[in-house]
Amino acid sequence: MTDVPGEIVVSHLTKQYGQLRAVDDLSFTVRPGRVTGFLGPNGAGKTTTLRMMLGLVRPTSGTATFSGTPYVELTEPIRHVGAVLEASSAHKGRTGRNHLRVMATAAGLPDSAADLALDRVGLTPAANRKFKGYSLGMKQRLGIAAAMLGDPGVLILDEPANGLDPEGIRWMRDLLKALAAQGRTVLVSSHLLAEMQLLADDVVIIAAGQLIRQGPVGEVLASLSGTLQVRVRTPQPAELLAALEKEQAEVAELPDGALTVTGLEVAHVGHVAFAAGVELHELTGERADLEQVFLQLTAGRAGIR
Amino acid sequence: MRLIRAELLKLRTTSTWWIFALVFLALWALTLAVNWFATSVGLDAGSSIEVDPATGDFVLHESDIAANLYTNGQFFGLLVVMLLAAIVVTSEYFQQTATTAFLQTPRRELVVGAKLVAAVLVGLAFWLVSTLLNLVLGALILAAYDSGPFFGSGAVWEAILLNALAYALWAVFGVGAGVLIRSQIGATVTLSVVYVLGYLGSNTFFLLIGDSFGEWFPKLQVLIPPLASQLLVSGASLPGSPPRWLGAVILVLYAVLAGAVGTVITRKRDIT
Repeated sequence: MTDVPGEIVVSHLTKQYGQLRAVDDLSFTVRPGRVTGFLGPNGAGKTTTLRMMLGLVRPTSGTATFSGTPYVELTEPIRHVGAVLEASSAHKGRTGRNHLRVMATAAGLPDSAADLALDRVGLTPAANRKFKGYSLGMKQRLGIAAAMLGDPGVLILDEPANGLDPEGIRWMRDLLKALAAQGRTVLVSSHLLAEMQLLADDVVIIAAGQLIRQGPVGEVLASLSGTLQVRVRTPQPAELLAALEKEQAEVAELPDGALTVTGLEVAHVGHVAFAAGVELHELTGERADLEQVFLQLTAGRAGIR
Repeated sequence: MRLIRAELLKLRTTSTWWIFALVFLALWALTLAVNWFATSVGLDAGSSIEVDPATGDFVLHESDIAANLYTNGQFFGLLVVMLLAAIVVTSEYFQQTATTAFLQTPRRELVVGAKLVAAVLVGLAFWLVSTLLNLVLGALILAAYDSGPFFGSGAVWEAILLNALAYALWAVFGVGAGVLIRSQIGATVTLSVVYVLGYLGSNTFFLLIGDSFGEWFPKLQVLIPPLASQLLVSGASLPGSPPRWLGAVILVLYAVLAGAVGTVITRKRDIT
């Protein structure tokens, strides 16, 4: 197997906590130059997986590599992989700038790297304020600044949108997309699916510690194209219903008077209406979104085990 | 090297160290006052006072009085340094910065090692400051009682240097204990109790028990860390008259044991 620079390969990762198999033979790859969403219900094993990948939690079995090397064997890991694991991981009595200076010192980087990282996340005005005075959004920004300190090619973020306001979420989205566009590998765990649909190029979906689906967002959505629905609104519902039933379509009436048609393409529904001389006020194809797919894929796999 | 500098920076960039330094200075001043009094008693009586070899608590050579002054503040100094050293470790868990530290340095034994060195340096800094103050003020006190400063006495310098060794060893001991007891409150309370009880309580304990378990039992006193420390620094007379270096050996063993066990546990443990 050849090692792709910037590629994360997770292979048969397993973690057993007593009776509970938190992560179960999990394998997936994360490609550089793209934002990959790591999705799963609460308790699916997302955080445990990330912590195993980063050498903080010892896997029961399996491996995770960055460009072919396990995290704990990387020299100066923060120059290769930047991680944001929890918003509250700085000393409360230390200033944001000093927090980064400690990390820079340990990595042999100059203090100017800390200032640069603060500037990149817009924290310069609060640089000399103590961490306990930071808002949740500022803590997240400091976490990202810390992850970016060593200018790594791989970024891993655990629920970075938690506690951010809409402006902060937008800022995060733009930043992560820009970082991926520079060719970096970006892996973001989240349970906020609407946000992920806007942000991610690829998704890895897990539930109960097992892989459910992996691939580009479009493909994962398309793999469930059977759920394509067409929404129609007409002043002559009875005529349209009769015409559609001749085409073997399944029609359901919605409370607001619209009909949803399952089993026909949008154009087909339009043609049937035209041929039957039925007036249409609305005709929309509704693709399943990530949320529907996610709920469908993870249905029956309880988050609390 | 970088990791040690990072650890020292960690210490410098929070208020913990100067709070401890202030507490130490206050306690140092207190013990100086006590020792001043003891000096006045000792020197007023002159060197004519008989030394009681049975109890041996005060060997009233004038140079010993000087040494006592120059190592003033040791009792609380060692306690403060040990607690500070323990907090160097426990605060990483208390403040949830352990994740950051171990992400940056996945070889966790290096982090513990850097903390050991940093704690020893801090311990020596406390020793240096208190010793400088002691040398100035101690000499003044001695002069006030028409006694020389004994700067030429070997016993005085030996006491001062052994005092430095004690500061360093208790710092190592503190780090080891901090690694073992991750809870900040748990570690500080446990260490304080062991330290103070070790000093004040174990003498009484062994006095009460006596040699009812046999003659060897009182000799175990030297295994109590604070008593071993006392033996090292002041040559306190313990049953069986163990040599002073034994105190150092016992302290080193405790420090190494706590550090090694703690490091092994830290390496294996999941950081969540």
